[in-house]
Amino acid sequence: MEIFVQQCVNALSLGGTYALLALGLAVVFSVLGMINFAHGEILTITGYTVFFSLMLAVPAVLIIPLALIVAMLAAAAMERVAFRPLRGAGPTSLLITSFAVSGILQVLFQNLISARPRPVPIPDFLTGAFTVGPFHIGVIQSLSILATLAMVGLLTLFLKRTLLGMAIRAAAVDFPTTRLMGIRANRVILAAFAISGLLAGVSGLLWIAQRGSVDPLMGFLPVLKAFIAAILGGIGNLTGAVIGGFFLGAIEIGLQAALPEPVQPFRDAIALTLVVVVLLYRPQGLFGAVHSVRP
Amino acid sequence: MSLLEVDGLAVSYGPIKAVRDVSLVVEAGEIVTVLGANGAGKSTSLQAIIGLLPAQQGRVRFDGHDVTGESPERIVRRGMTLTPEGRRIFAPLTVEENLRIGAATQVRRGNTAELWDQMMELFPILASRRRQLAGTLSGGEQQQLAIARSLMSRPRLLLLDEPSLGLAPIVVELIFDLIGRLRDLGITILLVEQNVHQALDIADRGYVVSGGTVVLEGTAEALKASADVQKAYLGQA
Amino acid sequence: MKLVPIYAIAGALTLATMLPQQAAADDLVVGAAISLTGGLAYADVPAQKGMQLAIDEINAAGGIGGKYKIDLRLKDSRSDPAQTSIAAQELIDDGASVLVTPCDADPSIGAGQMAQSAGVAAFSTCASSPNLPLAVGDHMFTNFPGDNVQATVSAKYAIDSGYKNAYILISPDTSYTQLPNYFKTVFETLGGKVVGEDNFSIGQQDFSAQVTKIKSLEPAADVIMTAAYEPDFPAFIKQLRAAGITAPVIGSDGIDSPTTFALGDVAEGVVFSTAGFAAPGSPLEAFNAKYKAANGENPDTIFSAIGYDLIKVLEAAVLKADSVDREAIWQAVRELENVQGATSTITYKGTNGVPLRQVSLIKVVKGDRELVLQEAPDAALIPAPSL
Ligand SMILES: Nc1ncnc2c1ncn2[C@@H]1O[C@H](COP(=O)(O)OP(=O)(O)O)[C@@H](O)[C@H]1O
Ligand SMILES: [Mg+2]
Repeated sequence: MEIFVQQCVNALSLGGTYALLALGLAVVFSVLGMINFAHGEILTITGYTVFFSLMLAVPAVLIIPLALIVAMLAAAAMERVAFRPLRGAGPTSLLITSFAVSGILQVLFQNLISARPRPVPIPDFLTGAFTVGPFHIGVIQSLSILATLAMVGLLTLFLKRTLLGMAIRAAAVDFPTTRLMGIRANRVILAAFAISGLLAGVSGLLWIAQRGSVDPLMGFLPVLKAFIAAILGGIGNLTGAVIGGFFLGAIEIGLQAALPEPVQPFRDAIALTLVVVVLLYRPQGLFGAVHSVRP
Repeated sequence: MSLLEVDGLAVSYGPIKAVRDVSLVVEAGEIVTVLGANGAGKSTSLQAIIGLLPAQQGRVRFDGHDVTGESPERIVRRGMTLTPEGRRIFAPLTVEENLRIGAATQVRRGNTAELWDQMMELFPILASRRRQLAGTLSGGEQQQLAIARSLMSRPRLLLLDEPSLGLAPIVVELIFDLIGRLRDLGITILLVEQNVHQALDIADRGYVVSGGTVVLEGTAEALKASADVQKAYLGQA
Repeated sequence: MKLVPIYAIAGALTLATMLPQQAAADDLVVGAAISLTGGLAYADVPAQKGMQLAIDEINAAGGIGGKYKIDLRLKDSRSDPAQTSIAAQELIDDGASVLVTPCDADPSIGAGQMAQSAGVAAFSTCASSPNLPLAVGDHMFTNFPGDNVQATVSAKYAIDSGYKNAYILISPDTSYTQLPNYFKTVFETLGGKVVGEDNFSIGQQDFSAQVTKIKSLEPAADVIMTAAYEPDFPAFIKQLRAAGITAPVIGSDGIDSPTTFALGDVAEGVVFSTAGFAAPGSPLEAFNAKYKAANGENPDTIFSAIGYDLIKVLEAAVLKADSVDREAIWQAVRELENVQGATSTITYKGTNGVPLRQVSLIKVVKGDRELVLQEAPDAALIPAPSL
């Protein structure tokens, strides 16, 4: 029983980081109909920002806001430089471009910064844990649960309460008609990228705190997981992305905990099989993909 | 100077020439109707006028400005907007949210509250549906929402694409009534319709489009009298 | 930092590979099909820097034995096995006398087979898999203490430290991350017991499930062994310590990285096996100083010294053969004994391609390294390479 509760906390925390990443992918997908595979490189950029800030002795309180701002700017710059010129070229071109952006950034990191992982010392209090009854809850674990809740909450408020937020939701349904409201397409798309950048920045910080280093290639795997979570939830569906993230976290932790040792090496295969099974019964994902009119 | 001048407009979807040669004029205060069979190129023309589709040839002038090639958001800010065919309301958003997005261009001017009251007066049904998701409205209500949403940008010229499409006769009445009231409010209207009789009843002038070309134009009375209208409308021109 | 446009980099790389490469008859042409980009760059780039240092040093002194200059030809294999094979074939066709392959068994096997059939000796920069020479043939050599050798040293150390119950954490993703299996063999041979083992996926950010299991082990593990490296190792040890598990942890050379020393309290006391230790007056300390003088910073991994060692091995082989002929060099490598490298003495004589080298066990103490022991293990204890 205790172990079960502990594993649930574990699943929530892992699922939360997947949810944040999937949400970032979904926000962009919802307005542009493209999966941005260079999303992972925003994590990496966040990490390098922290690394260089520490190196340049930037005051600790400024590092997190700085890293998040850089993440947002990087995502916005990606849109401006790589994707905007291709607007209207169709989702396939955009998808391929996003792979190219990802590859180019990785090579740039490797050549201009280092092919080696760069250490990012994390304050010890972040690596600690506290005890609630029989449960050990890691500080980073709780932070990732809290950060997920906070980000989902903030994003919901933003999408429901602000005009720009409503415009993003409207654009997700029908982009041309949104423009007929006098809403600037570029602003909506830029905002979607900036939001995805912020979400990636937050997950990047959590991921960095966990791994203690930045590596030129570190963005690949998280974005892959996020992609699976987003598909699972129903691509482009924001609620779906969050649920998909938690679902994937639960599958992974559940299999890790429940599978007997000899079967463990097949864990990822089994997890993906489960995802495929879900998609066989619900091809549109758990929450249904968004079918919308794109720019 | 006319409010809207469209001159020699041509629009293609890839190899398909949907609009070949459309020229029309709308004077301030008028209701002008564009008639034509399905596939004649009416919607395509409106989308090109508002900037959603690029004009391959021809010019569009609004209020003295050449707006050809401008983005729809810019044109809307100039005071012309389009209520698209099929309503295209934002179904997962509430009625209120739809209208607030409609007023996006007015937020800076701070007159959204006044606009809001005006809409509630024009469309009392929407007042009672305020928090409902737009997708759950009936067809007639959705059409009213679509028009109200367009009006939130305070257009001087409203392009209406088949507002009566798929609506029950009684609702069609209501929509045409509304169009009349909009004229009284000083809004100029370019109305695309297949409901020929009602459209010509309310309009001052009209154009008939066939195969992407204007084949006939004249006052509403003249068009009503013309034997060619039925012919053109049926696409046999 | 000056940003260089990507096409400039690409252009420079293309130019570098297209320049006419006329080697003098007496030059030792070293063809390196290694990964300057992609997933193996973290190891091959530093190894290449160490190789370059040795080459510059030798050439500045007039070449090997004052006679044979070293001509290094580099082709980026982009961490891709197919690219590695293509690059290897080109380098061999281009007249390379020896081939250098990436720091991993997978791409090295294909490239090694090309070398094997061309009669060229091939060296992996830093792969530690003892299977690599077995998979390729007698022309394939490794250049790092083998996984089985490292595991033998750490298992013996664990037993000598009084640990009885071990937990091992393995990833089936690579042969390297299965190193704890060798540890298990030796640990159990010496009377210890493995009370729990688990799998993880490389790149997995979450170890909470494993940690929860470790916590519930009966009997509790008094030592934990894994070959996980970045980013898995830091994530694992943080979550392990956060869960209140204080059992000592033994790792392997993959965590011989600045990250490990920047982890703070959680990494305190971690012991890992690696290829060398820069004791005062040691060749490794001298190498580090030379590296710093050349590159302006300390090497941040042992792989640079290992790259240096590789060239020292080639130097010794050419001296012995007094020739840059492929066959002669290969024959000479097989007879090399006690070549002094930066990290260790290196012997290929009597081996099947995995050199006899010393293993250093290092303990993380207050963010710095402390030597626990340095030894070549008892050959009888070393488990046979398992496929
Ligand atoms: N998105 C599109 N892609 C290709 N052809 C289209 C598209 N939309 C409309 N068309 C074609 O353009 C022509 C004009 O269509 P449209 O402007 O919608 O006509 P109307 O509004 O008069 O019914 C028709 O032949 C139609 O099939
Ligand atoms: Mg139409």
